[in-house]
Amino acid sequence: MTTTVDPTLAAELEEYRTLCRSWLTEVRIPDVPLSLTERFRVLREWQGVLFDAGWIGIAWSREAGGQGLSHLHQLVFSEELARARAPQPIGLIGLDVVGPSIDRFGTVRQRTELLPRLLSGEDIWCQGFSEPDAGSDLSSLRTHAEIDGDDFVVSGQKVWTSWAHLASWCAMLVRTNAQAPKSRGISYLLVDMSSPGIVTRPLTQMTGDQEFCEVFLDRVRVPRENLVGELDGGWAIARHTLGTERAAYTLRRRVEYEVALQDAINELSACPTRDADPRRAYRVRSAVGRSHVSLRVLEAQTRKTIGRLAADTGPVPEDSVDKLLLNDIEQQVYGSIADLLGPLRVAPSGRPLGLDAARWAHDHLYSRAASIYGGTSQIQRNIIAERLLGLPRD
Amino acid sequence: MTDTLVTEVEQTVDAYLARSYGAERRLTLAECHGWDRAFLDEIDDLGWFALAVPESADGVGLPLSAVGAATMSLGRHLVPGPMVERLLLPALLLRHIDGSGPPRHDLPGAVVALVDPAANGTWSVDDDGVRVESGGLVGSMLPVRFGQEADQLLTVAESAGELAVYLLPPQTPGLDIEPVASADPTARLARVTFTEPAGAGITPVLTGSAAGRFVTELRAWARILAACELSGIATRLVEDTSAFVQVREQFGRPIGSFQAVKHTLADMYALARSLRNLCDAALEDAVSSSAEDLPMLAAVTKAYAAEAAVGVCESAIQMHGGAGFTTETDLHLYYKRALALRGWYGDHEELAHRIGDALLAGAGLAEPGDVS
Repeated sequence: MTTTVDPTLAAELEEYRTLCRSWLTEVRIPDVPLSLTERFRVLREWQGVLFDAGWIGIAWSREAGGQGLSHLHQLVFSEELARARAPQPIGLIGLDVVGPSIDRFGTVRQRTELLPRLLSGEDIWCQGFSEPDAGSDLSSLRTHAEIDGDDFVVSGQKVWTSWAHLASWCAMLVRTNAQAPKSRGISYLLVDMSSPGIVTRPLTQMTGDQEFCEVFLDRVRVPRENLVGELDGGWAIARHTLGTERAAYTLRRRVEYEVALQDAINELSACPTRDADPRRAYRVRSAVGRSHVSLRVLEAQTRKTIGRLAADTGPVPEDSVDKLLLNDIEQQVYGSIADLLGPLRVAPSGRPLGLDAARWAHDHLYSRAASIYGGTSQIQRNIIAERLLGLPRD
Repeated sequence: MTDTLVTEVEQTVDAYLARSYGAERRLTLAECHGWDRAFLDEIDDLGWFALAVPESADGVGLPLSAVGAATMSLGRHLVPGPMVERLLLPALLLRHIDGSGPPRHDLPGAVVALVDPAANGTWSVDDDGVRVESGGLVGSMLPVRFGQEADQLLTVAESAGELAVYLLPPQTPGLDIEPVASADPTARLARVTFTEPAGAGITPVLTGSAAGRFVTELRAWARILAACELSGIATRLVEDTSAFVQVREQFGRPIGSFQAVKHTLADMYALARSLRNLCDAALEDAVSSSAEDLPMLAAVTKAYAAEAAVGVCESAIQMHGGAGFTTETDLHLYYKRALALRGWYGDHEELAHRIGDALLAGAGLAEPGDVS
């Protein structure tokens, strides 16, 4: 992180970094198991450890149970976490996305009852936005809710809902007014995942993991007091949610790529046979060199993002340039390292050229999602063309 | 601080060029590959060449990042001539010459050509670097920008495992400068040959570790400035192409409304914007970089610029359709300049390879020809 913030804050952040670093050298950092159910359990415990030590909700207000510091403090901690090879807490959707929206738009009761359990990891949250026919065009969602006495009655289907099968709560967008224009008839509801009428079905990703799910809702009763914000006013909340998600996500992922490339360099440079075949040696150097260039490009790009985060500008079209670069760079870095596995890529258990084959094969497959989630690369290009270059709408 | 300075210098240079340097003048200058004394004097009078010259030599004394800012604007307007040579070489050399030698008051006004074999790698088969032998220089280099027009040739030579830096007037005995055809619209080119022993008895301006430090900075700044110029080119072509696709109609609509065109423009924008951010970051960091870190910073910046800017040019040509391939637009001039800069001091492949090598070895960045 560099100089786009003022010197006083920069000094404070460096002090905070030292604090993070020294805590991370003392704590026992958990190994993350490959099995997803095991992983969920370990990471949830880890969130509890982080929470007890005051590293959760760093940029949240004190009233909401957070630490009352800035987004930049949160970024510093995330950076140090990655550098210490420590995992992120499991409840990131709650911490980064749902929680800040409840804190900003929710009622006093919603905030006081839900946020402490969200922070500690006792409640894991998922976010029910996407639907089979409403992904990039989110405003076309069809899951609907009718008011019946003190409840909403919700029916429909959600998809790509991360951790839905393990989550206790879902922040869900539902259509509450079929007559209003598409984005004006949507409300933001908090749904207890143990309610009768909810069925979740995990989808298996190409990595073999089951992180996201389909969620089927059949006449699910949700108390009216679980409405966040105005009736039919959910779209503004969703936009706020997606905006804060993007900048924070970009900054955190950048550091994770840096750490990954450093791991690859360590593995490769410790391998004595790396230079045995000149053609292979050339490929190794080229993959490392190009990846390093990519990550420096991303670092330079995110200096502006940090400035925006510090100034709390909210979502801006420039975020789309970040996201587009982030997608390409994630795929370039993981793709070029995984290519070094050669034919052993399909038998990813050994250490070709010193590389941990299982890890790089997995991470490369995972990188293919980067240009799809959080708004596809095509959607980002439309935003750049129309809002930054002023080209006419299709 | 650097940020504000960069913005101010860039705006000043840009405003002047927008006012006084139009498409017609660009074409006239490109036709003579940028060699026009009157134009050079005009720029000199504006004080741009003195920006980074130390105050002790009557310069403005700004940091070298100011030169980067000026170079971005020069790229944006495709200003031909020995611009980078004049902006950088005297300024950098004067910083490294200590008070013990004779003062070089001739340097700030001089056109200095750069004869550094590292600029061309070892691509030319008969190009084997420049060496000091029997007190004189031996070797050759192709191409050298403005070799025939220069008042002085700043020559980097290898001398028994160390470097030596010479300033040679073109009349130096044994120095042969032969013009060669140039495909770079902004530069005249020459082959420079030192027949043995050229310039025998001439004292180098820098030797030993002082020469080593100077050459490290020279190569780093040459790469950073090439990247800045490429950034200017990319920025300009995104602007021009974006304007073009909004007026050019096909099927009764501006082509800028078609998704295939919009997505290409968006990619061009992302490349140009990220290159600009990378150059800004490099200028900000270079001034305070250690001698160990500066070469890596510069190599990274140049590697990305070589790929990104040429990519933008190629998309710009494509988006202009048939006219983009002709000389009816300026695109071919920008493209040829970008290609010239891409190869100078290493392209993306070459540099990525060296960067990877350095990272894997946990060592500094090696130059081609370095003894490993």
